[in-house]
Amino acid sequence: MADDAFDLVIVGGGLVGASIAFGLREGGLRIAMLDEGDRAHRASRGNFGLVWVQGKGAGMPAYGSWTQASAHLWPRLASDLARASGIDVALAQPGGAHLCLSRHELDYRAAEIEALLAQPGFERYRIDVLDHAALARRIPGLGPDVVGGTWSDLDGHCNPLRLLDALHVAAARAGVSYRPRAAVRVIAPHRGGFTLDTAAGPLRARRVVLAAGLANARLAPMVGLRAPVVPNQGQVIALERVRPFLPVPIDTLRQTDEGTVLVGDAQRDVGYDESLATDVLATMAARAVRMFPALAGVRVTRAWAALRVMSPDGFPIYAASRTAPGASVVTCHSGVTLAAVHAYRLAPALVADAWPADLDGYSPARFDVRAAA
Amino acid sequence: MFARLPDDPRPTVAFTFDGAGVDARRGDSVAAALVAAGHLAHRLTPVNARPRGPWCMMGACHDCLVSVDGVPNVQGCTVAVAPGMRVETQRGARAIEAAAASPAFAVDDSVVLALDDTGVGDRSDALLDIAVVGAGPAGLAAATVAAEAGLRVALFDEQRQAGGQIHRGITASPLARPAVLGADYWAGGSLVRAFERSGARHGAGASVWSLAPRDDGTLALAVSSGPTAAPRSALVLARAVIVATGALERPVPIPGWTLPGVMSVGAAQILLKTAGVVATRGTVIAGSGPLLWLYAWQCLEAGGTIDALLDTTPRGRLARALPHAAAFLMSRYAAKGYELVRTVRARTRVVEHVDALAALGDDRVEGVRFGVGGALDSLACDTLLLHHGVVPHATLALAAGCDIAWNDAQACFEPVVDPWGGSSLPGVWVAGDAANVAGADAAAPRGALAALAAANALGRFDAAERDRKARPWRAALARALRGRAFIDMLYRPADAFRVPRDATIACRCEEVTAERVVQALRAGASGPNQAKALTRCGMGPCQGRLCAPTLTALVAETCGISATEAGTYRQRFPVKPVTLGELAALPGSAAADAAVLRIDRNR
Repeated sequence: MADDAFDLVIVGGGLVGASIAFGLREGGLRIAMLDEGDRAHRASRGNFGLVWVQGKGAGMPAYGSWTQASAHLWPRLASDLARASGIDVALAQPGGAHLCLSRHELDYRAAEIEALLAQPGFERYRIDVLDHAALARRIPGLGPDVVGGTWSDLDGHCNPLRLLDALHVAAARAGVSYRPRAAVRVIAPHRGGFTLDTAAGPLRARRVVLAAGLANARLAPMVGLRAPVVPNQGQVIALERVRPFLPVPIDTLRQTDEGTVLVGDAQRDVGYDESLATDVLATMAARAVRMFPALAGVRVTRAWAALRVMSPDGFPIYAASRTAPGASVVTCHSGVTLAAVHAYRLAPALVADAWPADLDGYSPARFDVRAAA
Repeated sequence: MFARLPDDPRPTVAFTFDGAGVDARRGDSVAAALVAAGHLAHRLTPVNARPRGPWCMMGACHDCLVSVDGVPNVQGCTVAVAPGMRVETQRGARAIEAAAASPAFAVDDSVVLALDDTGVGDRSDALLDIAVVGAGPAGLAAATVAAEAGLRVALFDEQRQAGGQIHRGITASPLARPAVLGADYWAGGSLVRAFERSGARHGAGASVWSLAPRDDGTLALAVSSGPTAAPRSALVLARAVIVATGALERPVPIPGWTLPGVMSVGAAQILLKTAGVVATRGTVIAGSGPLLWLYAWQCLEAGGTIDALLDTTPRGRLARALPHAAAFLMSRYAAKGYELVRTVRARTRVVEHVDALAALGDDRVEGVRFGVGGALDSLACDTLLLHHGVVPHATLALAAGCDIAWNDAQACFEPVVDPWGGSSLPGVWVAGDAANVAGADAAAPRGALAALAAANALGRFDAAERDRKARPWRAALARALRGRAFIDMLYRPADAFRVPRDATIACRCEEVTAERVVQALRAGASGPNQAKALTRCGMGPCQGRLCAPTLTALVAETCGISATEAGTYRQRFPVKPVTLGELAALPGSAAADAAVLRIDRNR
């Protein structure tokens, strides 16, 4: 076999692509994972690092189950990664909270959670609506403005940059060929496989998995698939290292294993703009200070904006091509939380001959149905 | 070691460091006072609990962090001593519990809140014509020329006194014998006086940490009042911005460069200019470049001692620079440089063509090992001063989105500017060393030219008048640039000192070694930003200032690509650390509420 021919080419070296590579690393396939250069739209470098369950699945009960399955598989992923890469991804699942700063916010949140859990077919788990006093017993340092919030024992967080590193190291040790600076321009299906025209030269593959984030929208039609994803901007503020003070993650604020504190929030439809907006940073910072007043004097060392990969309904797109057999597409905006199911459940399906029925609901065909209705 | 000059006229200020009494002089920074008293280690790092002391003395490196009156993580070089101040070693990461309850630490009476002083503060109706960032020669000239053109101008600078690093301390010098700094230093006085007469406002002690265009065509600057007890930030709006943020010393990542007692030459010069503190017996100075010789001369003139000067200018450089020698010999740099070098050589041991350097010691520097053509030697020392030239300090312009390009003669990235200093961003000019390192004589005319171009763009006068007014400045600039090609060629730092090896620290803040960065690059990290994501290099409080040039060099060498292809860190705001509370106090908006809260308020 020539150097540039593979059983499987994964387009995208972010968390989604690397999780799939990790899941398939010992399957005997010759795998290449393609990535862009030093500066690209990289959701996997800009994310927040939550392994999060509470609140997910409104409008698609199966996604609630999928997310719970991943949270349950995560300890296995963390220990497999430690063994295979030598890297500790700092997984902690002590439970987590969503905090509300007004009665109105709390009522809104409680109603959302109630509606989520009441969905027919929803795999129920416990989410508590707690008042200030009950939250304060679990979370030290809460400010008086925190009226209440919601809590789930299933929630946690990890170090997402070390997760990305660990996935890559483990895949590379198992022989997966990582190709940076190899942005894909054109994918041409032909009998028995695909030819990919990349910035680093042409490649041939029997199978192709598109895990290219926002670029999936452009690449999927080349293999008879659709991935109508658009960017949605989030912003993160990183504070200097402080001594451990926050033992549990909040969905908008967490202390990393390194001691830094991250404040992450905002959903902005600003296209491919990755610039920070000070009014948004100010709003995020003001809420963080109300949640934990002692953070007011702590310095911000960095801030960044990153682009989520959003489908029309916010849920993942998983699909295999009918017209170009061997091609599939994977896209989501929860690459950390879903890393475990992507590695252990989705990855095998992508190289099997039959597409599993429980993933049918993630086909982009669902958008056609809605448009027709 | 360092010592105070004997004839310092300023009154004594007593404070404590880890409980022991220290005598300082009024106006000293905490870091300067500690170094003068022989305390070289100011903090223990949060990653490996290693002792550190100041490297830069100009607010960039964050190695002078101390606790002041219970407030943790204060940059000692930015805060003036006050009587009875309780200063303590910063041990690892700060605690947050102390922060809310602790009393505000006392600040020097002379501190003025820049934002009030400029009168722009939070008032949204106060639109400046031109905001100038940086009060060195470029910024002073720019603000002066713009104000004299009748424009509404404010100049912001993190120091309390105008002059920039080059003329640091010029309006409040502690030196009884000014001659030790040389005539060029005092020439800055006329720039400061012209600025003070010009009508431009002075935002002293104010750091600009964000610069972004707004939808209405104006530019918004976020300005912080800096390290005060209750820091606050405000947005300032301007129709044009002149970025004159000067230069930063290039990192010198040799083994042991993070040991207390190892400091940049620029830091030692700031100690002399601002605190009358001079290097004495036990000091070795090593590196290359004009500032190295200038400081050595100033130190000796002031009565200091330098045991040895290790000159790392590579063998053969002089020959390669010779084609540019004619212009150099006609410039005023030639006579001045000759005099400096001759004086220093007559009084100090100079070792030439040094091609290897390492600082020795465990918890502080105890010696230096150096090589010349394979022959190794070492010297005992307690102070090692390093310098390999300066590079543009343009993080504000970069974060705003100005295009940059690699300057191979000077081995650095610099903003791309037109002959007026105009950047790729409409309304933003970059002037002085921030755009291209050429020294103070070139910076002032470049500042003036940027101001003329901005005044023209704002409709103050037409292009013909702009060009007419520019003539004397263009002539001054041409004179100042004469001979620079010779200096650039002679002092371009040798690759051996740009690319660290093995366990040598590349990133001082996060304590990331060169070999860790190389390992990430070999594993496929495709540049500085990916290496940063995988190793944390560049993620600390200095925000990559002290490792960005190193990362470009490491990537280029390891990946076998050019510096242009290697690139540099993507800069983002805030370009100076500000507190979360400061950020929280900035104005929000309905759009921001919608983006963050995502609550249907009608439901």
